[in-house]
Amino acid sequence: MDLKRRDFLKIIGATTVATTLPGCTPKAPKSLIPYIIPHEEIIPGKSVWYASVCRECPAGCGVNIRVREGRATKAEGNPLHPVNHGALCARGQASLQGLYHPDRIQTPLLRTATGGWEPATWEKAEDVVLSHLQETLRQGKGRDVVWISSLQTGSLRALLGEWLASVGSKNLLMYEPFGHEALKKGNERVFGAATVPVYEFAGVDTIYSFGTDFLETWLSPVAFARGFAGERGFGESGRRNTLAYFGPRLSMTAANADAWVDVHPDMLGNLALAFVSVVVGEGLSRLSVAETTRISALVEGFGPEQMSWPTGLTVDRIVELGRAFAKSPSSLAIAGGAVIEGEFGAQTAAAVNLLNYVCGNVGRSIRFEGAESPGTLNTYADMDRLLRQMERNQVPALFLSEVNPVFTIPSSSGIAAALAKVPFIVACTSVMDETASLATLVLPIHTPLESWGDYEPREGVHGVMQPAMQPVFGTKMLGDILLHTGRRLGRAGSFAAPDFHVYVMERWKTIHARCGKGKTFEEFWVESLARGGAWETLPPQQVRLARTLAATDLCGPKDAPPLSGKTFTLLSSPSIAHYDGRGANKPWLQEMPDPITRLVWGSWIELSPDDAVRLGVTNGDRIQVSSPYARCELPAYIKRGLRVGCVAIPIGQGHTSYGRYANGVGVNVTALLDPKPSADGSGGVLWCGTKVELVKLPGKIALASVQEAESEFDREIIQEIPLAALVRGGEAAPVNAPSLYPPQEYLKHHWGMAIDVDKCTGCSACVTACYAENNVPVVGKQEVMNGREMAWIRIDRYYADKAATGAEREPAKAGFIPVLCQQCGAAPCETVCPVYAAYHTDEGLNGQVYNRCIGTRYCANNCPYKVRRFNWFDHDIPEPLNWQLNPDVTVRTKGVMEKCTFCVQRIVEGKNTARMEHRELVDGEIAPACQQACPAQAITFGDLKDPESQVSKLTEEREPRPYHMLEELNTRPAVTYLKRITA
Amino acid sequence: MTTDRAGMEYKLTYSDTDIDLMKTMRPAGRLYWALLTVLFLLVMAGGWAWWMQIQTGIGLAGKNSPVGWAMYITTFVYWVGIAHSGTLISAILFLVRVRWRAAVYRSAEAVTVFGLMTAGLFPFIHLGRVWVAHWILPVPNFDGLWPNFRSPLAWDVLAITTYMTVSSTFFLVGMLPDLAIVRDRVKGWRKKVYGFLAQGWQGTDTQWKHYTAAYVFLAALATPLVISVHSIVSWDFAMSIIPGWHSTIFAPYFVAGAIHSGLAMVVLLLIPLRRSFGIEKYITMHHLESLAKFIVFTALVVGFAYMVEFFAAWYGNEKYEKAIFLYRMVGEYAWAFWLLITTNVFVPLLLWSKKIRTSIPCLVVICISVEIGMWLERFVIIVTSLAHDYLPSAWGLYHPTLTDSMIVIGSFAWFFFLFMIFVKVLPAVSMWEVKEQLPPPLKERG
Repeated sequence: MDLKRRDFLKIIGATTVATTLPGCTPKAPKSLIPYIIPHEEIIPGKSVWYASVCRECPAGCGVNIRVREGRATKAEGNPLHPVNHGALCARGQASLQGLYHPDRIQTPLLRTATGGWEPATWEKAEDVVLSHLQETLRQGKGRDVVWISSLQTGSLRALLGEWLASVGSKNLLMYEPFGHEALKKGNERVFGAATVPVYEFAGVDTIYSFGTDFLETWLSPVAFARGFAGERGFGESGRRNTLAYFGPRLSMTAANADAWVDVHPDMLGNLALAFVSVVVGEGLSRLSVAETTRISALVEGFGPEQMSWPTGLTVDRIVELGRAFAKSPSSLAIAGGAVIEGEFGAQTAAAVNLLNYVCGNVGRSIRFEGAESPGTLNTYADMDRLLRQMERNQVPALFLSEVNPVFTIPSSSGIAAALAKVPFIVACTSVMDETASLATLVLPIHTPLESWGDYEPREGVHGVMQPAMQPVFGTKMLGDILLHTGRRLGRAGSFAAPDFHVYVMERWKTIHARCGKGKTFEEFWVESLARGGAWETLPPQQVRLARTLAATDLCGPKDAPPLSGKTFTLLSSPSIAHYDGRGANKPWLQEMPDPITRLVWGSWIELSPDDAVRLGVTNGDRIQVSSPYARCELPAYIKRGLRVGCVAIPIGQGHTSYGRYANGVGVNVTALLDPKPSADGSGGVLWCGTKVELVKLPGKIALASVQEAESEFDREIIQEIPLAALVRGGEAAPVNAPSLYPPQEYLKHHWGMAIDVDKCTGCSACVTACYAENNVPVVGKQEVMNGREMAWIRIDRYYADKAATGAEREPAKAGFIPVLCQQCGAAPCETVCPVYAAYHTDEGLNGQVYNRCIGTRYCANNCPYKVRRFNWFDHDIPEPLNWQLNPDVTVRTKGVMEKCTFCVQRIVEGKNTARMEHRELVDGEIAPACQQACPAQAITFGDLKDPESQVSKLTEEREPRPYHMLEELNTRPAVTYLKRITA
Repeated sequence: MTTDRAGMEYKLTYSDTDIDLMKTMRPAGRLYWALLTVLFLLVMAGGWAWWMQIQTGIGLAGKNSPVGWAMYITTFVYWVGIAHSGTLISAILFLVRVRWRAAVYRSAEAVTVFGLMTAGLFPFIHLGRVWVAHWILPVPNFDGLWPNFRSPLAWDVLAITTYMTVSSTFFLVGMLPDLAIVRDRVKGWRKKVYGFLAQGWQGTDTQWKHYTAAYVFLAALATPLVISVHSIVSWDFAMSIIPGWHSTIFAPYFVAGAIHSGLAMVVLLLIPLRRSFGIEKYITMHHLESLAKFIVFTALVVGFAYMVEFFAAWYGNEKYEKAIFLYRMVGEYAWAFWLLITTNVFVPLLLWSKKIRTSIPCLVVICISVEIGMWLERFVIIVTSLAHDYLPSAWGLYHPTLTDSMIVIGSFAWFFFLFMIFVKVLPAVSMWEVKEQLPPPLKERG
């Protein structure tokens, strides 16, 4: 046979491929750069950052999007932004998974006669919209056209208004499920201002939270966590704030409190009034005599004696708490959120306002200038009125943009039936959701990260949004759709701007006039784009006690409702991962453990330990929950720190049409809720207070928990130190015990980390940031149940060892501690690896060489911190979700061990940058993803060899606060924890 | 029945021995083939499960974080333990001149070799990336990278391969005279094969002189390995910092346990062997009884070791250590713990009674009990310690899956499959050593 060299090579090549073991082939990399024509800004291997605004919730934090080779790979907080100062929560981190969601709609979808979907071109879709609108206009019904939008400010809000005006309608409904209705009503009644004020935590010494989870989901959690934790720890000032949390459930925020006080939700307002009564009664108020007298009259009958029994606090305790609040140099009381949004929400908010007022906090820690934008939202009552109009066939066309009321409002409001009466529904959304699935036409729009726009989270904070990358799919910007259809409608309004980008720039000329003195618009615009927006300082706005304020505006029921054996008070709690449910389609958030229950991928019903004993229920038991409106089945979760007679169900799960990651996970609690808008005058959703009955059914429903243990069993994992001991100066920390191995030598750097346990709020932003930065795979519910979650950093939660049930029960107390690879100096993992896949670098890192690892898992067994994660499988990341992968970090294949690297890629990048610039590294220049994301600034990273570095100073051995986890093992961790401080 | 010191019946002659003991190598019956087929299918099923595991990922087995080792390492340690009795019986008892060993040592050595061949699979089976397993071998590769000699796993590799080499050499060398007998009695291609294996054995005085010297030498070489191999295997655990593993008692404790299970396995194999080939004259109740007495002794040793472990945990008053031993007694795996204590310590003590230890059914039941107990002992040590170590937040449980169960069952099938082939192709009872124990054939016996 005549075999040419070329043929020979071909055969060899083919046979090599054919005989390669399928088990041993790593996945082939896909083509990398999505741009057809390379953009001039793209330098392969170099990140470009684009500032924008996070639109995952109304808080509107500034983000910087890291773009590599034309693809957005990481969202980080914008350090220049006045709301979040560089931090970003887990939901913000996960916005990238919304951008790259594999279930995004790629073309307009038109409802077919049979009820299915038919893909349509954009031209066709716009034609359908226009012909329907023209028909509506011909019938003279243009003014009944309705647009429901998520909270928008600035350009998009203006354009939506103009567009609606062009068809003669004024019906723009801005709706968010957490609309702060009670708070706004309370503010209106007490101060005559139906807005959401700005809360300032910096410099505040005493904080009383009345059921408000301000560190998790309420209003602007990143900003609040930063402000709150900024006063924690033990800085040079020697001050530390104290937080008391009053409410029925030990939430994550409550777990951060120095005292959690179990109070029935309906009694929170009364408790605040009792405090007011103490303050004015003891002459501690900072008001004029006339005002004090007036307030004394208002709180007549709400003294500590009268309120002691209904609130369950002793008279002395009430007096002591009231006095402490008033005497504090700077204090802040907060009421808002789902816990107070029951039947008396407005009264609770009003009562707490009064407490702030008598203590002189209004204008200091609570300011009405620069109000938060959610104050401009419509209420649930408005939504309810709209539904009634729909039922009466009064809405000829309904437009929805980025809202999902079918999921988020109580289903027994009849929203599905009401929508069925609307002949033409257009849903503008990037993913299919429960509401869009009832639409006539679905228009796929850009996600915020692909869009131009602006957002004003507070008055005076103008955030600007710019596309971080080319659109992933053939979607359109909502603003462009509005301009285009507006022009084609050819009616009132100009719609002159060629596209939304220009429209935004035009509108920014007014902001330029206010904030851009001495600069051309061009300069101002470019500067604003780079900075993420423009900020202006607003003159203080004084508010006074409203003349109309009457005692009835303040008081809830005088007596706590009696506990009956059968019915329970339902608290629906917003989820830190899913918010109102919009996060549920993002796998990172599904797999982010709920900080307090440590559960993932599902929903559950929380029962107090006493009720669980009474009903004979254990974790995972099938519980049938019935309210007058619906019935559902949920697994039981026994929650320490829940008021007896209350049950809690997280909001946000139970989607039926929200993509592959959300569908069929858990139960939607809104189905159980009372559909009436609150009768307290606020018109909000009754998130709290629906009465439910529980029946234990046979069988179990799987709960996926990443931590079963509740207590730390005296292992001193979260160590505490009393504040008094700190002020005196504590004892010196012990030095390292000797080791048989020669001491490690660190040549230039020794990377180390300090984690302030007193500051860590448990919010888990670091967890998701780590997933995003380090390509940590999501494994799904079953694999989590198998104990195979891959998180490199986790937030452990331990309850204090106290009786959970019975007579000796004390208020539950919980603490959080982030656990990541401790980068031990005498690492147990390194000695046992037979192939040196785990080794010590000369910079103090426990290196892990993935391609050297043979997968004995001995290192993970021998790690006392259990931070090593094994790849039990190859993890499939569906296209285009894999576009998010960080190109600087290896994607690990099955069979290898992985773990936290202190973001070694960032260390390398930092060192390279310094070397290219012919300088030494600056302390703080390198920040691992967890530190970067942390809203509480609990994490400090740096060089332990540099005695001047912040981390060295924090971990100095003389300090009484630093400690090592499991110190007695002499692993010599490079991670040092700073003890939690007890008041 | 009277027996001599070697435990065999009187009046056996040299030629009887050859004829009787070669009976094992006659063509097999139907039952044999049926059994062999079943075992083969089980091995194939286990192999298929392994193949699927390589393809899909080791996640098919039930391990997780924190339980990174479970049934595979349990079974690995178990088989290494089984492999101990062989060398103990053949080498140590040879050196101390225990005469009853002659009839049973060949089977015991086969147990060693096949036990190691089974155990040796598990380090491969349990690896995340078995296709690069050779990196653990002390062969400097192109990067000049050696294995990490601080890692007990690297020691394991050396210990197991050394033991494998020495015990198979001992096994084959011990068979030489017998292979020559077989060679002389078979025809055709078999003659060539056995001729090769017999290595030209003629039974001359010189050959016997060298042979006996070499045999003693090999026995002396193998003896320390009995102690070292399981000591080193135990250091996989003892050298770690996991509470319940990190203990100085582990080496003697593991060696005792290994001998315990190994002896029980030898008894379990000898009983059907002598029965089905009608060689009760050679492997007598005396042999079984001697082994049974030995099992009583090892049961007491392991029982003592358990007590010492618990005592040390209590006396040491170290919180993690105390917690893990309490957990073993009352935690999720308490059933396994109490079962192992019963089957390993209490059940074998029944062998104190002569009536029980001379009853074949009782012996079988008790030896099976010891096998179950010793497997569970390793399971409890490995799984409970990992499941419940330092940080409560990381605690977790292990649940077996179909894949790891199939592989473990397949490993048992593999061992018995090899043993069944062995009894048909190699002399399962040492003819020459049996003859050594017999009175020499003198003329006047006629």
